[in-house]
Amino acid sequence: MPEIEFNEEEILLRASQGDREAFGLLYEHYIDRIFNYVYYRTGNLHDAEDLTARVFQRAMNHIRTYTDRGVPFSAWLYRIAHNLVANWHRDRSRKQEIPLDDLPISSAKVDRPESTLVRSQEQDALLRIIRQLPSERQTLLILKFVENLSNAEIGQIMGRSEGAVKSLYHRTLLALRDQIGDQNINLEGD
Amino acid sequence: MSKNETISSETQLDELEAHLAGTLKRVAPRRDFVRRLSGHIHFPPRAEIATRLHDWRRLFIVFSSVVSGMLLIVTVARALYHLFGRRNMG
Repeated sequence: MPEIEFNEEEILLRASQGDREAFGLLYEHYIDRIFNYVYYRTGNLHDAEDLTARVFQRAMNHIRTYTDRGVPFSAWLYRIAHNLVANWHRDRSRKQEIPLDDLPISSAKVDRPESTLVRSQEQDALLRIIRQLPSERQTLLILKFVENLSNAEIGQIMGRSEGAVKSLYHRTLLALRDQIGDQNINLEGD
Repeated sequence: MSKNETISSETQLDELEAHLAGTLKRVAPRRDFVRRLSGHIHFPPRAEIATRLHDWRRLFIVFSSVVSGMLLIVTVARALYHLFGRRNMG
């Protein structure tokens, strides 16, 4: 059976006119990407699911006001996700809960999706360092490695030029390398 | 920075990129979560259902249609009983 072409422009038009089915198609197309973004930004399954649901509910409530400004629709969704994750971090720091990074690894493993690969201690340590980076750098790494997007595509989503993304990426790698050195983390064990 | 230090630094960054690629892998959300959320998106939310219930004209049409349908079924059933049921009993 031939695969039905995903005509985003047409689907977006229908969705913005209140077509629930069209929005459903957008949801099915982007659910994995948004979930992955939120999951890597929060580090736990429960909050990732809660925030992903809120992203799509908010998108559905505001889809009528969406206007195509020449950037991909995904950029709009990532922007909503980014704002909700930022609020989540702010609420979390106000409540002064135990930081996720301080939780024992065993409890973090319970929260992982079934399909997540079992990670080594080194990978957990690397994830902890990544979550200490500024949010735009985390976003860049997620889009680059989880979504396998090019610098140009990342630039469209983040509202930066391709060169700026390349430069930010290089600075991010240097910062990560320094952090790994400062915290005496040995990545050779992978 | 000497040439050796530059090469060493580039090697470190290459290794770091390899570690990042091995760590930041795509994960699949739980199927029941995706299905549940899909249900919320495809079907009207509670608030919308409540709004529809407040639409008295529509509610009246639905209610009267249901009652008319039930009366029609009862009438047809009674007619069939009188036509065939009594004959069989006699």
